[in-house]
Amino acid sequence: MIEMIQVNHQFAIGKKGKERVVPVLHDIDLHVKQGEIVAIVGRSGSGKSTLLNLMSGYIRPTSGTIRVADQEVTSLSEGEWANFRLAHLGFMFQSFQLIPSMTAFENAELPLVLKGIGVTQRKKRVMELLEQVGVAEYAGHYPGELSGGQQQRVSVARSLILNPPIVLADEPTGSLDSDNERQLLSLIQHLNQDRGTTFVLITHDEQVASIAHRTVSLKDGYLLNADKKEGIFAHEIH
Amino acid sequence: MKFTDQFRFVRQNMKKNKTRLFMTVLATAMGCTFLIVLASVGFGLQKSIVDQMVVDRMVTAIDIYGIESENEVDRVIGAKNIEYLRSVDHVKAVTYRNYVQQPLNPTVDGAAASSNGTVNVDFDAETKAGFGLSSGRLPQKPDEVVIGFNIRETREGASEGEGNKPKADTPPAKEWLGKVMSLQVRQLAEDGTEQTATIPVTIVGISEKPSREWETDTFVYIGNEILTRIESFTQTQWGAMLLPADKDNPDSANGNQPLGLQDPRQYNSVQAIADGANHVKGIAEEIREKGYYSHSIANELKQVNLVFLIMKIGLGFVGTIAVLIASIGIFNTMTMAVTERAQDIGIMKAIGAHPSTIRRIFLLESSMIGLLGAIIGTAVAYVISIAVNIGLPLVIEGFMEERVPEDFIFSLIPPYLAAIAFLISLGVALLSGSRPAKRATRIDVLRALRRDI
Repeated sequence: MIEMIQVNHQFAIGKKGKERVVPVLHDIDLHVKQGEIVAIVGRSGSGKSTLLNLMSGYIRPTSGTIRVADQEVTSLSEGEWANFRLAHLGFMFQSFQLIPSMTAFENAELPLVLKGIGVTQRKKRVMELLEQVGVAEYAGHYPGELSGGQQQRVSVARSLILNPPIVLADEPTGSLDSDNERQLLSLIQHLNQDRGTTFVLITHDEQVASIAHRTVSLKDGYLLNADKKEGIFAHEIH
Repeated sequence: MKFTDQFRFVRQNMKKNKTRLFMTVLATAMGCTFLIVLASVGFGLQKSIVDQMVVDRMVTAIDIYGIESENEVDRVIGAKNIEYLRSVDHVKAVTYRNYVQQPLNPTVDGAAASSNGTVNVDFDAETKAGFGLSSGRLPQKPDEVVIGFNIRETREGASEGEGNKPKADTPPAKEWLGKVMSLQVRQLAEDGTEQTATIPVTIVGISEKPSREWETDTFVYIGNEILTRIESFTQTQWGAMLLPADKDNPDSANGNQPLGLQDPRQYNSVQAIADGANHVKGIAEEIREKGYYSHSIANELKQVNLVFLIMKIGLGFVGTIAVLIASIGIFNTMTMAVTERAQDIGIMKAIGAHPSTIRRIFLLESSMIGLLGAIIGTAVAYVISIAVNIGLPLVIEGFMEERVPEDFIFSLIPPYLAAIAFLISLGVALLSGSRPAKRATRIDVLRALRRDI
């Protein structure tokens, strides 16, 4: 489903003309199968978010090839990436990233609006999903009027509204208490089992990693041996 | 993304800062109003002045005054010249006005008409040229005539011994339509006695009301057949009366006697009517080469219109500067809007908004501002234009003691001026919004999500 072959990435920092190149990812080879939940773990600065941003198309690799949903995405233009995201990807963010001036309903329906789906179909689909994630009664509320857990559920509804085959989640439970974290993880497992949705989760959290079929670890931009689930956190800690 | 959804987005966004929106729309509206009102002064003055010039005159008419000749007699327009003028390309008719050279004292049902003359015209040519009638029709039979619009004025009152009645009390000339008018033709016999013949004619048409208030038309217009009857009685051209012989010097009158029927005729008030205003210049040049003295209102109009065209362009240019100044406001508003909504734009891009969708939303917003400004500006411009046309003559009369001619307009907004101003405002708004819109598409998703923009 997602294939990264010899992907390298480096940032240029500093003033123009006096930039300093900082390598972030080195020779990443990663394969995520369809229907898999993969957790990417690692310390801060290890390159986890950069890896996810490469999969999302927010940044382009310095070298290497990325294939998502059987499509070579490395050379897509910005416009093509926009269409590709709408067709194949759902996104969950640590800080929910809801638009403050829109209600929960409007935030959740945004991908449908961008795709040009009609009003009647949108209303039905959004209310079903808000019901499913348990925030239907807050449909008319603005993000500022919702708790962190409720906001994340709206964000989840938005990420799933177009039934994407792949969901990329950056620290999805980072802003949630343990109860809400548990409920979200349960929802992710459910969706994975019922719909076969592929999840790539970036996390620090062992509990989040525990629902993954496979956990891969990043250290200083290098992908460590990732086939065995056990012992990775112990390895990181020591 | 559907247009209705883009429109909904724009409406939501515009509601976020109503004061800023109001001020921007106000600036655009003021610019648009300024542009229209300034240009409308050019249009208004042009129309008023041109109307004053062309009133009662056709732009397709070329006045023929005479023909170049060393011999004074040959300078007048004769029958041959009329024939030539008729043969010129694109001349659809040649008209003339020849006065019967004696008063025919026309009466209808015993009542005298206040006619101040009888005019011979070529009704076939007048039909083609478009003789202006207020009622009735042009003559089709030999004994039919057209009478002037004001032929019943003044003398009606006088005949009743009440002096001149106000014009409002004068019965309309069209009441005489279909009635028989008697024309009295007089001539001196050889023995010096005056002989009279009465020619009955039928009134079939009433001429157009003169466009100027002080003008009156009290003529009787007759065709060539009636003129022939008059001349066959008088045996002189244009029905002129012979001069009485001086008893002391019987030969003195002979040299001044009117022209006889066998003498060459002189035609007056000759006009060549072109079949289109665009042919006037060509005809005028062609007949000038043949030595004809001519003048056409089209020549004057061309120069006047050129002056006003330059004036309108100048005024429009000044007005456009006002719209351009307003565009700075739109640019500022849109730039602020992009900055304020950078995070929202980033989120939209992160989940799959196409850059062109983002651009369209912002362009739609700036064009909405331009549209609102243009609508309000155009409406206000019309109100100002009406107020100027009503108020300025009163101000001039009140403070300068000058009377503004009736129907004179200072400001005129033709629909195409409003449309042009509308398009300029809209175009400038779109142009002002294009750079901020482009900037919106370039917002970096990661920076926006980190909220460090």
